[in-house]
Amino acid sequence: MHLGLGTLARTSLLAAAVLTSACNSDATAPNPEPSNPAPAGLTATANGTTAIDLAWTAPTTAVTQFVLQRAEGAAGAFAEINRPAAGATSYADAGLTPNTLYRYRLAAVRNGATSSFSSEASATTADDQGGGGGGNEVLVTTDITTNTQWTADKVYRIVGFRKVANGATLNIQAGTRIIGDYETTGSSLFVLRGARINAVGNAGAPIVFTSSQPVGQRLAGDWGGLIIIGNGVINRSGVVNIEGTGTSADNPLLPYSGGDNNFDNSGRLSYVRVEYAGFGPAPDAELNTFTFAAVGGQTVLDHLQAHNGLDDSYEFFGGAADLKYAVSTEAGDDHFDMSEGYQGRIQYFVAFQSKLVAIRPLAGNVASDPQGIENDGCNGSGCDAGQNSTPFTIPVVANGTIVLTGPGVVGGSGGYGMVLRRGTGGHYVNIVIAKGASNGIGYRDATSKLREDAGLLSLKGIYIAETPNAFQSGQQTYAGPASDVTHAAATTAASIFAGYNANPASMADINLFPAAGSPIATGGFTGWSGDLLSRGAGLDQTTYRGAFAPGGTDWTAGWTEYSDN
Amino acid sequence: MMLVLRRLALASVLLLLPALVQAQATGRLTGLIIDGDGAVPISGARVEVVGTTLRATSVVDGRYTFNAIPAGTIDIRVVRIGYAPKTVTGVVITAGGVTEQDVTLAGQAVQLDEITVTASVETGSVNSALDEQRNSVGIVNAISSEQIAKSPDGDAAAAVQRVSGATVQDGKYVFVRGLGDRYTTASLNGARIPSPEPEKKVVPLDLFPSSLLSGITTSKTFTPDQPGDFSGASVNIKTRDFPGRGFRALSLSTGYNTASTGTDGFFGPTASRDWLALGSDARTVPGLLAGTDFGGQITPEQNNLLVQSMRNVWTPTARSGSPNGSAGISLGGTIPTGSSRLGYVLSGTYSYSQEIRADQQRALAATIGSGEGTPIDQFSGTTGITSVLWGGIANLSTTLGSHTKVSLNNTYNRTMDNEGRRETGASENLAIPLLIQRTKYVERNIYSSQLELHHELGAGRLGVDWGATVSGVNRREPDRSEIVYSLESGTPRWFGFSNEAAVRTFGDLDENSLEGHVDLMLALGDPAAGRRLRFGGLMRRTERTALNRTYSVSLARPLPGDADAMAPEALFADYADAGDDYFRVVPLAAGGSYAAEDNLAAGYAMLATPLSRRFDLVAGARLERSSVAVASLSTAGEPSLANPTFTDVLPSLALTYRANENLNIRASATQTLSRPEYRELSPILYREVIGFDNIKGNADLQRALIQNYDLRLEYYPRRGEILSVALFAKQFDNPIERIYQGTSGTRIITYVNALGANNYGVELEARKQLDFLSEGLRTLALFANATFMESSIDIDASQGSVTNANRRMVGQAPYVINAGLTWTHPTSDASATVLFNRVGERINEAGELPLPDVVVQPRNVLDLSLRLPVFNTLSARVDARNLLDAKYLTTQGAVTRESYRTGRVFTVGFSWSQ
Repeated sequence: MHLGLGTLARTSLLAAAVLTSACNSDATAPNPEPSNPAPAGLTATANGTTAIDLAWTAPTTAVTQFVLQRAEGAAGAFAEINRPAAGATSYADAGLTPNTLYRYRLAAVRNGATSSFSSEASATTADDQGGGGGGNEVLVTTDITTNTQWTADKVYRIVGFRKVANGATLNIQAGTRIIGDYETTGSSLFVLRGARINAVGNAGAPIVFTSSQPVGQRLAGDWGGLIIIGNGVINRSGVVNIEGTGTSADNPLLPYSGGDNNFDNSGRLSYVRVEYAGFGPAPDAELNTFTFAAVGGQTVLDHLQAHNGLDDSYEFFGGAADLKYAVSTEAGDDHFDMSEGYQGRIQYFVAFQSKLVAIRPLAGNVASDPQGIENDGCNGSGCDAGQNSTPFTIPVVANGTIVLTGPGVVGGSGGYGMVLRRGTGGHYVNIVIAKGASNGIGYRDATSKLREDAGLLSLKGIYIAETPNAFQSGQQTYAGPASDVTHAAATTAASIFAGYNANPASMADINLFPAAGSPIATGGFTGWSGDLLSRGAGLDQTTYRGAFAPGGTDWTAGWTEYSDN
Repeated sequence: MMLVLRRLALASVLLLLPALVQAQATGRLTGLIIDGDGAVPISGARVEVVGTTLRATSVVDGRYTFNAIPAGTIDIRVVRIGYAPKTVTGVVITAGGVTEQDVTLAGQAVQLDEITVTASVETGSVNSALDEQRNSVGIVNAISSEQIAKSPDGDAAAAVQRVSGATVQDGKYVFVRGLGDRYTTASLNGARIPSPEPEKKVVPLDLFPSSLLSGITTSKTFTPDQPGDFSGASVNIKTRDFPGRGFRALSLSTGYNTASTGTDGFFGPTASRDWLALGSDARTVPGLLAGTDFGGQITPEQNNLLVQSMRNVWTPTARSGSPNGSAGISLGGTIPTGSSRLGYVLSGTYSYSQEIRADQQRALAATIGSGEGTPIDQFSGTTGITSVLWGGIANLSTTLGSHTKVSLNNTYNRTMDNEGRRETGASENLAIPLLIQRTKYVERNIYSSQLELHHELGAGRLGVDWGATVSGVNRREPDRSEIVYSLESGTPRWFGFSNEAAVRTFGDLDENSLEGHVDLMLALGDPAAGRRLRFGGLMRRTERTALNRTYSVSLARPLPGDADAMAPEALFADYADAGDDYFRVVPLAAGGSYAAEDNLAAGYAMLATPLSRRFDLVAGARLERSSVAVASLSTAGEPSLANPTFTDVLPSLALTYRANENLNIRASATQTLSRPEYRELSPILYREVIGFDNIKGNADLQRALIQNYDLRLEYYPRRGEILSVALFAKQFDNPIERIYQGTSGTRIITYVNALGANNYGVELEARKQLDFLSEGLRTLALFANATFMESSIDIDASQGSVTNANRRMVGQAPYVINAGLTWTHPTSDASATVLFNRVGERINEAGELPLPDVVVQPRNVLDLSLRLPVFNTLSARVDARNLLDAKYLTTQGAVTRESYRTGRVFTVGFSWSQ
């Protein structure tokens, strides 16, 4: 049945060009003759893990065609792989094995006679360490419905929208590598309500979720992300589904509403890195690197890094899961996003942005309003009391260092240290914001002000450096004492941090410890009381501001990683 | 089934003209003899000029002709076995002229007494339309060309809103009895019209200029000889058929819109040949843009070339509105071809109009301080729309031998709407003020070519109709642009870091359809007994392809200095040069493309039989098998195919009781269905072309079955008058309803089968001359129709809908009122008509809980038309449309979602005909 799919495919933006190369296997014996010189200037350059680009100098005397031969390894035999046409000066050899040496040589054909071969050129294809695990790779193509153990001696490739379901527990051994399949767009791992994930790494052997693409070719949106749905409470009624689900038969809608237990336990993530995630299965519906939807407070989350995700790094929808020691480096949208009644506590965290993330083509788009923190009360369907719907969003967010890009890099309404809006509450304590694009804090909506009036929203020990305005103008006015928010517009990020680098190449370039004598080494708010004290029970009341104690241990050491691709 | 109502208002003009002084002493008389029961032509009817020996017999197309009748006023009598004889008195024959007189006959089983009517009554097409209503099997509302001519209605959509229970949404889509557009189907001369709408398969009736129409019938009752996929109504638009005598007509008009003519506004920028609705060629998608594989990395240089490849036009043009205008030309007649005649009608029309939507407000509703809606994203501004509508028909008809009639009907129409919109407001999400400018150009065209044959065999015992229709439609929406500037700093600055700050969209839709049918009518027993068996079949194949491409231009790095404060055209001209690396071009969504194929096969049998002298029964059933395949691609390029097949038997039973000549009581019970529309079956999430919502189809959708019950009492006090009361009730199983699903981000719109729905109401219709009040009011006729209705739909909670699960159906108004008063000059063709229309508040869109539903508020519409004969062959018309200029208002609770006014329109026109 002709359905015009051909028409569709022609216009499809993803229509892949299919490379076809005629392969002529009958070898022609070289026949050297002075009037038939060998081609010169052959070079071979590896192009990723499976391709090598060849180039040569155009001969001075006309040829009818070339004969190209290839050998594998240092001692392999040559065999013809192609006969490039007259006039060709390059050839792209594809379909090769990663991390393998290939040798090439070229002859010219003139008047039916073949010249001697050129001198050899060779190249080694790139190592496939980010990608497939070779013989150790385990394809995860079906949902996990019974208790399962993933071990560090294997690489697990998630293919499609895979779920840990049916109350099963997925245990992941320290040091295990999990890759999201690039070819199956949106490949991602969901841990559903009632199921658990125990992914406990350590500083020397973190558990890494990354792209299946080779190192050097990874981009934000290469795969979907890690999504956990618990049985906690949200403040929206009716059925609410995870954004980015419901896009295909393999990716049905996944509701997270209707939970009733903020002490629920979805397991433990410890020393886990999630990179290059955030594929958008639908327009404007990208997946977050980490999604915690209605995740309960018995869940343990510590030492997590989100890196180069296309959407938010960490997004909490309701629930009450605590998070400690969190790193977010380069995000396409917000670094931390809390809403729908989230009441967990986050202490010791870094949000670092230096540029717009590079995106996998067609995976989605960076947001026009990426922020360090973006907290909402209630928004969307089922906010039965509007932004006053309960439970309110009241997290305790303490000891964060938020370093952004300064003006002119991200979207015109983005680049805020924090945006507090739509009826959110929460206590924001001992946080350093540097290089906000225009405003340190966007304090919006009269409904958020109601939380402040009720003692459910406070800003304490906030330090804003190298940012034009402390607060966005024309919005709510924070009533606390001036000492709550220090605005040092002229103080640079470089001066307050031990090692600020606007273009880091590795985590070593991101040293956000207080510089000697830095104002953030002191000034921490320790007089916790009232709602902050009761909600923040068990958190540290530090004398310093930011994520790192002066002279303290670097809790990011060993297990975090920063690279562009 | 080709309902033919061979009428031309123009033809009747001549009847009333004073006799011309001519040398000849005789005139020609011609006309059609029509079976009122189904409005099919009757052959073999004998027509006598009373008191003479002049006789003529109608041929297979129903036409009779006298070539020479002495000038004067005569009576004619029509006799045909199986029908009640009928005498028409007062037929005026002018020397050297041609008089056209059609006569409708009623089946003898129904009507035994001989009928005598006067020529002027038999001629009036209002009467013919009412005859069609009166004699039809089911419940039918007909609008004649005369009624359309007396209204200011410029296209079929405007005319249909005069039908009882009909509401017209967006000036295009017909809702009947409060049932959404999915429950109304549209045909052109009996063949289904393909749809140019990307999200639906509805036919926008504004595509059909009223001057090309001979009438519109709206069938509200299903009979097995028509497709069963409707419940509200099946609308059939009939183009003009050739008249018995030659005519030529020319009309010109010009109009003044109080809100736009001479008023400053922002209009869509023009391109070449816009005035012919051929401007899409100048706006076509750049080859470089369409050919770029965005799956790879795009270099800055490539991005510059992509930006340069786009038409550098982003801003609506500020200028003042020009007057409206229209022109039409028609000619028709017969050419003798040996023993037969070739009848023809050729007609063309062109109209141009402008509209400014001033004081335009729009907003969204959100829950903020409470569950009540509060306005957010409020924008105000103005929209300027320039529209062109032109088209033509070429209809030919002839007889082959004495038993076969052949007709070929060709229609082509083309429209263009060029819109510019400029608005300012604030975004709640971004918390900054914005200036948004949009341009949008939509071009549509539709063609239909239809060959129909009618055979009459065995002295009227067997009638065969068969034919084929090729039709197609396409819609181009090339190069829609949207550009957003931030007003945060006071100066407008391009909001270039957003991927929605500069967007170009290119949409194309093509649909083609091939339809063939055979219908047989067999008289059982004595033809005079009126017992007839009809059976037949229909095959239709429809293919559609819809392509949608959207691209965004955004900043990869900041522009230097104050460059972002430049106008967009200057900005893109200056900063996409070689070596620049400011812009990047990305596709926003490819998921809007799909292809669909629809094969329908249907067969039916129905029996029409008198049960007694007063009872008529029509019973039958139709079998329909529909096989649909929809192929689509997700944004990421994954293909998906949905191909359900639905086979259904649709029974129909209709009973008519003719209490006396003036009183009919009808009852019917039928089953019809509603199938999913193409896009609704695609399980892929895509971004709506028009509404910008994320929409996902549902491959598991079932077709809905609808049981329809009608009871109608009609009283015809006199010819041309009617009083009727109708009750209707409908029960829906698995109705398809559009719902919202909540997500942690953008909501999803999808389609589900609701548990059930019901819809019931009462329709009242009256048309009465006012001479019963006073003889002096004989020239006034009052007509009114009103429908009062209620509905409820019940959505299964497990479907995850976040819309109200129990509410009225979307689109259903609690009432629809049409009323009018016509004054007709007793002897000349002068007339004046006042028309009033009001539609009760109806749900436009179900609300996302806890927000209330989005409701279109009622507005009073008053139109006035004057028709003045100026000279023998020249007449004038004066129309005033939208005299009250009531606000279009859509609300959601206390929030004004949209409001604007369109202005009053005054039109003066002249028409010349001969």
